[in-house]
This record gives sequence, structure tokens and C-alpha cells, in this order.
Amino acid sequence: MQPLLSQYWPILIFGAIAGGIAVAMMLGALFAARQKPYAEKLSAYECGFEPFDDARRRFDVRFYLVCLLFIIFDLEVAFLFPWAVSLSHIGLFGFFSMLTFLAELTVGYVYAWRRGALDWE
Amino acid sequence: MIFAHIFFYVFAIILVASAVMVVTARNPVHSVLFLILCFFNAAGLFLIAGAEFLAFILLIVYVGAVAVLFLFVVMMLDIDFSELRAGVQRYAPIGGVIGAILFLELVLVLGGWKVSPLAAGLRLTPMGYGISNTDAIGRVLYTQYAFLFETASLVLMVAMIGAIVLTHRDRRRSKSQVIAQQNARNPADTLAMIDVAVGAGVKAADIRRPDPALERPGEVVVLPDEETHEPVLVAPEPRSH
Repeated sequence: MQPLLSQYWPILIFGAIAGGIAVAMMLGALFAARQKPYAEKLSAYECGFEPFDDARRRFDVRFYLVCLLFIIFDLEVAFLFPWAVSLSHIGLFGFFSMLTFLAELTVGYVYAWRRGALDWE
Repeated sequence: MIFAHIFFYVFAIILVASAVMVVTARNPVHSVLFLILCFFNAAGLFLIAGAEFLAFILLIVYVGAVAVLFLFVVMMLDIDFSELRAGVQRYAPIGGVIGAILFLELVLVLGGWKVSPLAAGLRLTPMGYGISNTDAIGRVLYTQYAFLFETASLVLMVAMIGAIVLTHRDRRRSKSQVIAQQNARNPADTLAMIDVAVGAGVKAADIRRPDPALERPGEVVVLPDEETHEPVLVAPEPRSH
């Protein structure tokens, strides 16, 4: 086994335990619980009502804008990780190439700020 | 190594199976959830291949952000999928022709694929021992490939500005709080103490309620009390919207 992969054993075990617990809960409910399904159990309770329409309906495009801005800054941060790790080897040029990168994105950030794209009224 | 092989096949099988489910799931939201399962398994494959940085970027960027965007798009398009499926029979021939052409192109591309003789040399220069994957990427990305790196930043900026131009609309009619303006107000601007003669009416003292159309939020009106005739502060009546 590669030394790299052996470091991920804890994550694998973690995932296996999490998956095991999830499956055990579903199977436990399936086998241990009494199940008497009838139609009335699925109907709306007391003053509840049947849904008027589908939950998947068109909503405001501003959510999309916020999500897109989030992705862009998420990527920006993703580029920062290897830069921070290798900063002692890439010298001044590498340092300033990241600063240029950040400056270019700051232009977009200032634009977003000035246009009010970050405001939520 | 046998463990790596087992996990490769586990991840690969789940990946392909969930990719099939992405295409065939009836509910588009389920498709996106299967896509997320795809991303997780692809991250596992990246880990086995030794690309741990890519694996976690896949999780952070694709699962954390792109999948959410896909969900938004699926919901925003508001497609009636049952209506779309109704036309499957009608459009099957033309869809089949386009699919066949694309498949043919793929076959031609893969058939004409030649491995560059330089590629073998690249495989002989692996990253040195003691250098982590992330470190190795960082050492070349910001120096050797600095131009491409800066171009990536420009692409991101264009995407940001494009998204704002396409989706942002000024909504100046809505009421928003300007905190600086509120803090800049002081009592002298808005408050006047007036001695009103006993028995004199409000109109005689030239005091009237502000015009609701001109009134600013938070305005305080001076009105004499009915019994004591002392000026008291009365908040204006709420504006009718």
C-alpha cells in the first residue's frame, strides 16, 4: 500500500462507521418497528392542508447570483491553498503572481460591491 | 496494493452506476444528488491515483458549490419534465442521429490518438519524495504557469461581472436602512420645543402633522398635549402603503 493512501484509513473507517450507522437505523426501523400502514396516516394532520402546488417552482434569480459569487470566491480560496503550502519555495515572483491574481479578482469584487450585488434588501 | 485495487473498483462501479442514475432519474433533483455521489467517488479515485489536492478541491468546489448551483438551475428553469418526456418518441430519430455522429467523432478521436514520445519521459520524472501533492502543484503553478494562473483570474472576474450584469437589477423602490444617515441625525434637526398659549389651538401655533408623502421614517412630531398643553413628542402615524 502506498504511504499516501495509508494516511486515509481513519477517513475510510469514519465513512464506514457513518454509513453503517445510517444503514443500521433504516434496517432497524424496517425490522424492529411495528408497521401498520394505512392511508389515513399519510393525510394532512388536523389543521394542516394538502400542498397547493409543487415545491419546485421558479424563485428569485438573486439566489443564483449569490451562489455564483460564492463559487468564484470559493475557487479563489482554493488557489490560495497550494500557494500557502509552497510559499517558501516559489520566491518573490510566486508571491506577487498571487497578489496580482487577488488584485484582478478584487476588481470584480469592487464592481459587485458598487453595483449592490452583495446587498439583500 | 490489493486494497487500492479493491477500492478502485468499488469507487469506479459506484461512480458509473450513479452516473447512469444521473441520466435516467425521473426527478431532476435526484439527478443532482446522484451527481454529488459521482463527485464523491471521483474524489476517491483521485485519492487512489495520488492526486489528493485535486480530490479535495473536487469535494470543496464541486460538491460544495457547483452542485448547489446545479440545484438552483434545476429549480430555476422550472422545467416540466413529464412534458419533455412526452416528445421522446417524436424526437428519437434526430436525437439518435446526433448521438451517432457524436459517438463516431469520439471513436475517430480515440482511434487517432497517439501517445507523444515525450509523455514517457514525463512519467519518469515524478515528484520528489517528501514533497506533498499540494506543494508540488504550488511550486509550478505560481511560477512556471503564472500566465495561465493570471488568465484564470481574468476568467473568474469576467464570470463574476457577467453574472452581475445578467441577473442584478436595481430595486431602489424597496426600503433599506442607511445606518450612517440615521446616526448623523440629531435632535436639533428634527425636534422643536414650542410654548403654546393656554387655550390656543394647534393651528394657531402653526403646528401641523407632516405630510405623509414628505415624511421621513423615524420623524418625531411635536404636538401639544390635550390637557396639560405641554408639548409632547408623538411618533407619526404609520404611513399607509
